[in-house]
Amino acid sequence: MMFFDTLRLAIQGWAEAGALPGALTYGFVVNAVLAGLIIGPVLGGLGTLVVVKRFAFFSEAVGHSALTGVAIGILLGEPYTGPYGSLFGYCLLFGISLNYLRNRTGLTPDTLIGVFLSVSLALGASLLLLLSGRINIHILENVLFGSVLTVNSQDLAVLAVVALLTVALSLPNYNRLMLASFNPQLAAVRGVPVKAMDYLFVVLVTVVTVASVKVIGAILVGALLVIPAAAARLLSQSLRGFFWLSVLIATFSTLAGILLPIELALPLPSGAAIILVAGAVFMLAAIVRGLVPGLKGLPS
Amino acid sequence: MTPSHGPAIAFAAVGLKLGQTTVLRDVSLRVVPGSVHALVGPNGAGKSSLIKALLGQTPHQGRVALEWQGAPAVMGYVPQALAFDAGLPMTVNDFMAAMTQRKPAFLGFARARVEEITAALERVGMADKRTRRMGALSGGERQRVLLAQGLVPAPSLLVLDEPMAALDEAGARVFEQLLADWKQAGVTVFWVEHDLEAVGRLADHVTGLNRGVLFDGPPREVLTPQTLLELFSTRPRGAPAKAQEAGA
Repeated sequence: MMFFDTLRLAIQGWAEAGALPGALTYGFVVNAVLAGLIIGPVLGGLGTLVVVKRFAFFSEAVGHSALTGVAIGILLGEPYTGPYGSLFGYCLLFGISLNYLRNRTGLTPDTLIGVFLSVSLALGASLLLLLSGRINIHILENVLFGSVLTVNSQDLAVLAVVALLTVALSLPNYNRLMLASFNPQLAAVRGVPVKAMDYLFVVLVTVVTVASVKVIGAILVGALLVIPAAAARLLSQSLRGFFWLSVLIATFSTLAGILLPIELALPLPSGAAIILVAGAVFMLAAIVRGLVPGLKGLPS
Repeated sequence: MTPSHGPAIAFAAVGLKLGQTTVLRDVSLRVVPGSVHALVGPNGAGKSSLIKALLGQTPHQGRVALEWQGAPAVMGYVPQALAFDAGLPMTVNDFMAAMTQRKPAFLGFARARVEEITAALERVGMADKRTRRMGALSGGERQRVLLAQGLVPAPSLLVLDEPMAALDEAGARVFEQLLADWKQAGVTVFWVEHDLEAVGRLADHVTGLNRGVLFDGPPREVLTPQTLLELFSTRPRGAPAKAQEAGA
């Protein structure tokens, strides 16, 4: 945490000296930008696997389950600015149980996610009603849609640890995670522990989602795992282009979504602004794909 | 005499029941090291289930053993198809990298694999299409790529699940050449196939399966009109009626 305090002060100093944009003289803006620089590439990179493995609905559901995690945390007396124990605990339980039941029941993932999502939201709504007398209900807006104002050094430290863990575990297993979804038998012959890979992916998506809730919000965090990768898929012809373009779009959307409302004095929650930028990039990508036949695999 | 580097495969009284459905019943057969052993039978006969048992992908009764001559070596598998989004921006190169190395495919080939992958794609006649997206290939071309991944790293045992199903004439010629090369190298090939003419011509040994083993021997001896009639009739002789009604 001290590292981020020192870094923030240094950036603020450079901004005051005119070397960086004026908005960075404010500590909360620096915190938000640092959070964006951590979240963007990680969500963009992991998002390519979410699209390949058709986990978009799952990532949305995990984001929504964060709402219930926050409610449980506040109920258990955790600080409402960062109830990470309950957030990680509940969301991991949500993701792991879902994957376990998918293996056991043979139900299609979308059916099972539909069940889990509804029950989780019902539980969250009930708990929040119970809590409405104890907390300022406006805090919920921050949880639902994200707020750059509330990001502190502790949040940055959590984000950094989760990002490092995600990179360390997903990069060496990137091919294996893909292969497990292409053909489990072929994956097994090639020495891929298919079930372990499924659980690893569920855990990675869950922890990245939870760590990003503060900035993007529970409602929208899943979208940043999907939209940049979906836009990149429209414009790419190889995995190399797909991955790096997704990272670029996610990082750009996150930074633009954080900085534009501040620069233009727009009263937008950060999560909404980030997803609006990502959505605009997706629309642009769809238009470009329509105009360039080569992107559809057709001769230009 | 060709060298026999591949293992023998011994299926001993292999049985599989899913709920009330008998999928495999007392399947015993032996695949000779370095031979091309074909498995034929109608849809729902349990061929894919027997492969799953061999690959350790399904709990079953009885015993399946790979008898290596020395330390266990590489096993290759060529599936019928892949479940992937046809619009995915994944080239043939990306696919081959993802299959054969730990380095993330989006970072390019691992240096140690470049030559092997290039040689494999050349052998199946897909080297000139290596930058094409997998989703833009025809069914036959995709099947050739699946064959190519089975060549890297060089296997001693190959399990092929209907590799000729989508191949065009040129692809079939490529496959026949590969089969001849594997025979020459002493690779054990366990080959599920529907094309009886190809099996008769190319296999050393053939087993007819319809939940149980109906015949087993050299193709010229066992692929007779009578055995095939029995194999492909809806109610094989000696099988209980209940077992026939359920799908494998």
